[in-house]
Amino acid sequence: MTAASPTHAPASAGAFEPALAAEGLGVRYGSFVALKDVTLRVRANSVHAIIGPNGAGKTTLFHALTGRIRTAGGRITLGGRDITRTRDDDRVRLGLARSFQVTSLFATLSVRENLRLAAQGRTPWAALAPWRRVPEHDAAQDTVRALLQRLDLGPVAGRAAGELSHGQQRRLEVGMAMAARPKVILLDEPTSGMGTDDIGAMTDLIRDLGRDHTVLFIEHNMGIVMNISDTVTVMRAGQVLVEGRPAAVRDDPEVRRAYLGNMITGDLR
Amino acid sequence: MTRLLERPLVHFALAAITVLVLPLVLRSGTLASEILIYGLAAAACNLLLGYTGLLSFGQGIFFGLGSYVSGLLLLRAGWPAPVMLPAVALVGAATATAVGWLSIRRQGVYFVMLTLAFSQLFYFLAYTFSDLTGGDNGLLNVPRPRLGGRALADPWSYYAYVAVLFLALFAVLQRVALSTFGRTLLAIRDNEARASAIGFPVRAFKVAAFAISGAVTALAGALHAMLIGVAPLSNIEYHTSETLLIMTIIGGGANLFASVLGAAFYLVAGDLLSAIWPRWLLLLGALLIAIALFMQRGLWGLVERAAALVTRAPAEGAVPEESRP
Amino acid sequence: MTYLFQILNGIGLGMLYFLLAVGLSVIFGLLQFVNFAHGAFYMLGAYLAYAMVERGVSFWLALPLAGLAVAVLAAVTEAVLLRRVYKQAHTFHILATVGLALVVQEIVIIVWGPIGGNLAPPEGLSGIVILGDFVYPEYRLFVIAFTAVLAGALWWLLEGTRLGAIVRAGSESAEDMALLGYDTRRINTAVFGLGAGLAGLAGALAAPIRGVDPFMSVEALSVAFVVVVIGGMGSYAGALAAGLAVGIAQSLMATLWPEGARLMIYLGMAAIIVMMPRGLFGRA
Repeated sequence: MTAASPTHAPASAGAFEPALAAEGLGVRYGSFVALKDVTLRVRANSVHAIIGPNGAGKTTLFHALTGRIRTAGGRITLGGRDITRTRDDDRVRLGLARSFQVTSLFATLSVRENLRLAAQGRTPWAALAPWRRVPEHDAAQDTVRALLQRLDLGPVAGRAAGELSHGQQRRLEVGMAMAARPKVILLDEPTSGMGTDDIGAMTDLIRDLGRDHTVLFIEHNMGIVMNISDTVTVMRAGQVLVEGRPAAVRDDPEVRRAYLGNMITGDLR
Repeated sequence: MTRLLERPLVHFALAAITVLVLPLVLRSGTLASEILIYGLAAAACNLLLGYTGLLSFGQGIFFGLGSYVSGLLLLRAGWPAPVMLPAVALVGAATATAVGWLSIRRQGVYFVMLTLAFSQLFYFLAYTFSDLTGGDNGLLNVPRPRLGGRALADPWSYYAYVAVLFLALFAVLQRVALSTFGRTLLAIRDNEARASAIGFPVRAFKVAAFAISGAVTALAGALHAMLIGVAPLSNIEYHTSETLLIMTIIGGGANLFASVLGAAFYLVAGDLLSAIWPRWLLLLGALLIAIALFMQRGLWGLVERAAALVTRAPAEGAVPEESRP
Repeated sequence: MTYLFQILNGIGLGMLYFLLAVGLSVIFGLLQFVNFAHGAFYMLGAYLAYAMVERGVSFWLALPLAGLAVAVLAAVTEAVLLRRVYKQAHTFHILATVGLALVVQEIVIIVWGPIGGNLAPPEGLSGIVILGDFVYPEYRLFVIAFTAVLAGALWWLLEGTRLGAIVRAGSESAEDMALLGYDTRRINTAVFGLGAGLAGLAGALAAPIRGVDPFMSVEALSVAFVVVVIGGMGSYAGALAAGLAVGIAQSLMATLWPEGARLMIYLGMAAIIVMMPRGLFGRA
């Protein structure tokens, strides 16, 4: 883990070596342009939020950054290394992990096994050993134990992931991304569908993650975004509209116009 | 009791008991050997279907190929069985790697259709190159293995030979299923996209599953050719693929012993019914429809339910089918 | 000249493959499952036509009746049995239709025996056409003409009607249709009957060319799969192009390497999968 960056300078100030960057990123679905010329620089050890109305291309951006879909143009770098053509599973080994907007777990496997697999995903070829038993004690198991405690999933560790409550599933969903011990962690609407109590815990978790990871997250709850983000990027219609510190973004007239009439206007405080 | 049914050692014990019980309840050593051979091939099929979520109509390719290669090596190259069997496993693994690699280029129903088309491809290969395979007649006079200088001509002495190999390979498959590899296969079955997203090269795992399944299936094919003394064209036909798949599904679940159970049920029912009525496959067809409708967890599901009734505890086996994926 | 002969043969064969594949496609398009009993319906169509002609029914009556009978039988099966499997995993769709195929196959063997038989081309089309030094069987020309007309009708049905729009758009729109008050269960049944009926019709058309036997179902099923893998499921043009390509390739190979003609279909498919994993038209 790298040390926390000493300064909290405004995101727009000066050049820095980003943990994750996209330059001129484009994505097309057939003739539909889902992303157009998106440039994004995520500072190391910061919490970076992406907001925007539905259909703005936020999840598509995540898919492109993690390699789930192919880009039509542009360049993606992770810690200065070009990963534009790297396969999604290889990007995990390079230190990029994500959670999904729609919970995506191994439903019939236990919570512990879900996390163990996610931890193992960092060294996947070691798992391609048809004779090797799963070790009782190794780095992956240590990660699993630590995560079970941190996410308060210890009591349900032996249950099948598909049987958990929604809140527990959302925590496990984020835990799966953390288990890979990534440098950069992408969270797609981590609080979606959560109750008030769960949201508080999740907010603390994300803020916490920002201390030793770089966090990029998509969120509709403006309270959380304004509270814990160092930088906010606003997207609309597949493009970046505005980027800056939370307060600046909130007061930006263009953002206000973009959100006018949108369902999340009320959340902009 | 129900917890007990989940333990691997119990499954191996059940396989061993099967080996010991078959000679007591069956009069035909050939039928008993067939049960072990098809049980092995069905267990290998289950590694793909139950563990990896790959419904392959191509298992007959490896079974038939195993029969042919064993026959050719025994007859033309004059190799003894202990040398021939590893070679057959290698050929099975290599072919399954190729077929698997090509088939998983498409997903879902396209994958299923591709495996069936490949099984036709290999059938026509065998049919076309009849110099090598004997075409419609099959490859005749495949010898039994020799032990202590004489061939295992007696059905029950060959049964013992098959039984040893069956138990060894069953243990190997179990080891595979319990390994880090096998547990990753379960993850791929549950949610392929997520398995890829957390870093697993899903394709490599699927191809490796194919290779292992192909090797074991080819060995079963070799044992079958030595059992009946022929490597018949029918072993590489679509119907062999279909039969292996049906045995696996009748058995049920991600559970290797269940597949042995499925094979035993299929062969014993076939043996009894075909004596009464040659068109017994009509009943089998009706049974398959019934399984699809009412009994998706197969025979093993029934075993679990029975166990749950005995212990009078609501076990996993008692969960209504509708709530299962 | 032999090539022209073989290409014409290939077009006739290819159009039959197209009928099979399109039937498979429409069923998949709406119901989202692969009908493994498709080959059995093809066989049943062939046997029904054969049985009727044997009993003195005119082929011209037997042909539509065979297709219609298969369609009705399939629709009834859908309404009584298959409908109940839809909510299950796709393994069980396949299992149920594999079971159905076995049932049909065994019934065929019970009724008509395991040997098979031959069906003479219908009166009026049993002769040959002579154009210069080119000789061609009339019945095969009829098959090409008939299937071409049928293909046109199907094109209109699938591209020009509301039913076609529903089938092409797949199951999501089926839910919308339910909201709009359409009876999706009846549409499902009708489409399953239509798809199966096309297979039956293809079988009846093929009977005077290749005869009937209880093994024709697997062959038809796997060729339909090849066509669909190459041409893409749910694509009318794809099924037509791939069906014709497979038919013509098989026919031409029959002169060059008769024993390997059918092998070449599958080798060709494997080659296409290596070079173009998404098939000729790059869908799904």
